[in-house]
Formats: sequence, structure tokens, C-alpha cells
Amino acid sequence: MSECTAMRESMPMLLTESLGSAQREAAHLHIESCAACSDEWSGLRETWRLLDELPRVEVPSRVKDRFLAEIGTPSPVVVPFKRRPAAKWLAQAAAVAIIAGGSYFVGHRNTTPTVIPTRTAVLRGPEVTSIQPAAYSIAETRTLNSKTLSPNIEGRPNIDNVQFVDADASDGQISLGFDITQHVTVTGAPSDKSMVRLLSYVMQNEDRVSPSRSRAIDWVRDNYAKSGNADPEIAQALAKVLRSEQHEGVRIKAADTLNTLAPSGRVSSELTRDALIDALKSDPNPAVRLKAVEALARMASTGQELDSEAIDMLRQKASQDDENLYVRVKAAEALSTLSKIRPQ
Amino acid sequence: MRHLSDQELMRIVQAGDFSPASEIYDRYSGRIYNFALRFLKNAEAAEDATQEVFVKMMKHANQFQGDAKLSTWLFSITANWCRDYLRKADNKAKETEDVLVTLPAPSDQSPDRTLEQRENEALIKRALQALTPEQREAILLSRYQGLSYAEIAQISGCSEGAVKTRVFRAMETLKKALVVDLRGGDRCLNALP
Repeated sequence: MSECTAMRESMPMLLTESLGSAQREAAHLHIESCAACSDEWSGLRETWRLLDELPRVEVPSRVKDRFLAEIGTPSPVVVPFKRRPAAKWLAQAAAVAIIAGGSYFVGHRNTTPTVIPTRTAVLRGPEVTSIQPAAYSIAETRTLNSKTLSPNIEGRPNIDNVQFVDADASDGQISLGFDITQHVTVTGAPSDKSMVRLLSYVMQNEDRVSPSRSRAIDWVRDNYAKSGNADPEIAQALAKVLRSEQHEGVRIKAADTLNTLAPSGRVSSELTRDALIDALKSDPNPAVRLKAVEALARMASTGQELDSEAIDMLRQKASQDDENLYVRVKAAEALSTLSKIRPQ
Repeated sequence: MRHLSDQELMRIVQAGDFSPASEIYDRYSGRIYNFALRFLKNAEAAEDATQEVFVKMMKHANQFQGDAKLSTWLFSITANWCRDYLRKADNKAKETEDVLVTLPAPSDQSPDRTLEQRENEALIKRALQALTPEQREAILLSRYQGLSYAEIAQISGCSEGAVKTRVFRAMETLKKALVVDLRGGDRCLNALP
């Protein structure tokens, strides 16, 4: 290869400034002294510059929507609120009435608050059965009578999905429906049924993938395992995650956490065991299968009953040629542990 | 999410939390889409490529190694997708000119300049299509994505030497197509000074 040929092959690297300083200097010296290479260099520089005339094209927004929908995190959809002409003046009147009522209330705060009901401010609906129920529900659809509602709207809550309903234009009553986002903090002992149910819900909630889901599983592993007193519902939730979760990282966590919960006498061991066997049998990810074997081995070592199906599955995995080596070794170890505990 | 690095975002995804999906998409979708568009010369296929690359990234997040560059991994997936697409004989017939529709020219440009720019775009696109897929992949990654030869080699599954040769040959072909004779003044593009 002649010096000129080698030089020309390096010219694109000279354009991208990816040659070392010594090579760069040598290349420029050669170009200055060689008319043919000088022409070649000019042409390549011009070509490189011209390529920049190709504009960057914006990605159509539908691509992102499709992507997020496919992975289960759809873009927030803003539903435009369309007022019915008939409801518009009613809504305005309602707002005026609420403001007027609020002003009246503020001005008479030392007296017994009395809200004068107006025809336009009355919310339609059945009688309220209980304003402050003994048990607070976080998944409740409430229908309130406007007479029972403070006219002051404090805290500037987020109100979405507003709907005006004027079911009967002749009765002088309207209904105003909306979703309201509240931040709720529930405090309680890990053994409280409400806490257990909430944690189970968060762990299984596949509709909205959020950091809280992953953190909940971590938290369960770190805390319920210590107590050795996990509610069976927690184990059921984890078993469900292990069976149905699409993301392998979460399934690994679920199997790992089941492993830590297994010694608890109260844990629903049958359900846990079945979920672990299923994972060992058919989960495509070897890391999940490995965690499942570990959990089954631990169940066996702590004296929990493993039925013949579980033992058969361990035997099958221990001898399965195309199984992951670590899974095979762990399965063999589990069988060895079992044979010491329950000699045949 | 914006203050987190690519690696930090991917660690969250690897833990099973898809909430960084939108942020990662916003960071890289433009580059991925434009690469696919220039490679395939088909807007519809480029959209499919972009969508599927990011879906694959999320579903196979555990294959991403923390010390690697996310851009390199994403371009590897994209280049694979594009190569597969071109391998299918049916898709070759679908290559269209529809991608010649680009952003409107800035209003302060003269109509002559706008027309000239559109002609240049068309010439560049045709010149890029005249390259072999390997050369086109190499030049697109080098010229428009600013990737090093080592990164391109990793993406294309070849040696750095092969990348060097591909880029060189691509540049020679492009030079012939775009700048016929600088000294004689007979040029394909009239954008030259």
C-alpha cells in the first residue's frame, strides 16, 4: 500500500478528528506536500460538509404513544371537557353561589355556620348515609348532598374528569361529578390487615408500573422476613406476582422474597410451594428458576412439607441436561438436604 | 428523572420499574428514528423500528451491562432491526421517496435557497441509498451520530479495520455522487461556495 493510499483511507478519521496528534500532524504534512491527496482531502471535506444538509426529522408523537402503550405505561390522556350549553349557565351560577356562600361563611365564622342552600348549588343525589364512616375507604365513590358540604374549597385539590348532569331540567337541580386526587397516608403495624392488604395491592398492581411497586417488594422482604410472621396474604400476593408478572426483574424479587418468608409458620406454604414449582418448571429466566429452587430448598430445610410433585420437579431439574448449570446444582443440593431430613 | 444518568435510569428499569421509559425515549428517540429513516428510506418502517427498539430495550433491560453506553446498545438493536428489515425481500420494494418530506424551511430563507436545499436533500438521500447497507450503516453512525470506529465496530459486529474501510469507501462513493469535480466547477450540488 502506497503512502497516498494509506493516507486517503485515514482521511475520514481526520475528518472526525479521531486520529492521534502525531498521525494528524503527519497527515496534514503529507496533504500539503501532495497535490493528489490535497485534492482528495478537499473533496472529502466538501462531501462531509454537504452531508450536513440532510435535516433532522422530528419523530411523530404517535410513536411514543404506541411504545408506552405496549409496555403498559400509557401517556396521560387529557380528556377535553365539553360543556353542554344548557349546563354552562348553571355551572357559572353554582360557582357564584359557592363563592357567595364561602364569603358569608368567612364573615360569620364566630356564629354557627349556616349555609343557605340555593337551588343552583344543590348537588343531586341520594341522601348521604354517613359523612364520616367508621372505616375510611380509599376506593369509594361518594355521592354527597350539597347541604352537607362545606362551601369552602380549601387546599386547591386537583379536580379532573368533571361531569355536569342535569337529569331533569324542570327540577332545578344539577349534579356535578369529578375525580379528586388525594394523598393518603395510612399508618399501622405490619400485621394490621389493612396494611397487609395495601401492600399486597401495591405489589400486584400491574396497571401502573411505579417505583413504589418494586420498593414494596423490597420492603416486604426486609421487614416481614425479620418478624417471621408474615400474613398469608402477603405470600399469596408474591406468588401471584411470581406467576403472572411479565418483567423478569420483578419475578426474581418475588421469588427471592418468598424465600425469605418461607420459614413463617403462618405463611400459606401450599400456595407458595405451588408458585415456586411453577416458576421452576416453566419460567423462561434461569435466575427466577434459581431463586425458586433456593426457596424450595429452604422450605424443605425448615421442615415444611414438600409434596411428591415438588420433589419430582427437583429431581427432574437436577438431571436435566439443557437446564442452567446453577439451577441443576441447586436442585441437587435441595434433594441432598431433603434426603438428610427425610431419609428414604 | 432528568437529573439521572442513563445507567441510573437503566438500573431502575432492571429492577422492574418502567417509569423511566418516557425519559429514556425522549433522550434517544430522535437519534434512533433519524438513523432508521436514513438507513431504510421509509418513514413507516422507521417508526416501527423506533417503537420496537425501545420496547425491546425495556423487555430485555437485564441484558444491558451497566458499564456500557446506552447509545451503543440502542444503536446495536436498531441496526439489527434495520438489517433484518432489509433482508426481507418484500421490504425492499417498499422503499419510498416519502421521506423526502422534511421540515419546512425557515421563513427568512429565499425561495431559491429553499429549492436548492430541497434538491440537495434529495441528492444526499439518493447518494446514501447508493451505498451498500454496511457502508451506509457505518457512515450514518459516524457522520450523523458521531460514534467512534470502536463503537461502530461493536454495533456492526465487525472489526475497527472493517469500519475504517467501509467509511472510506462510502465517502469515496458519496464524493463522486455529490461533488463531481471541484476543480472543474461541474458540481452536483450548487451549495458549494
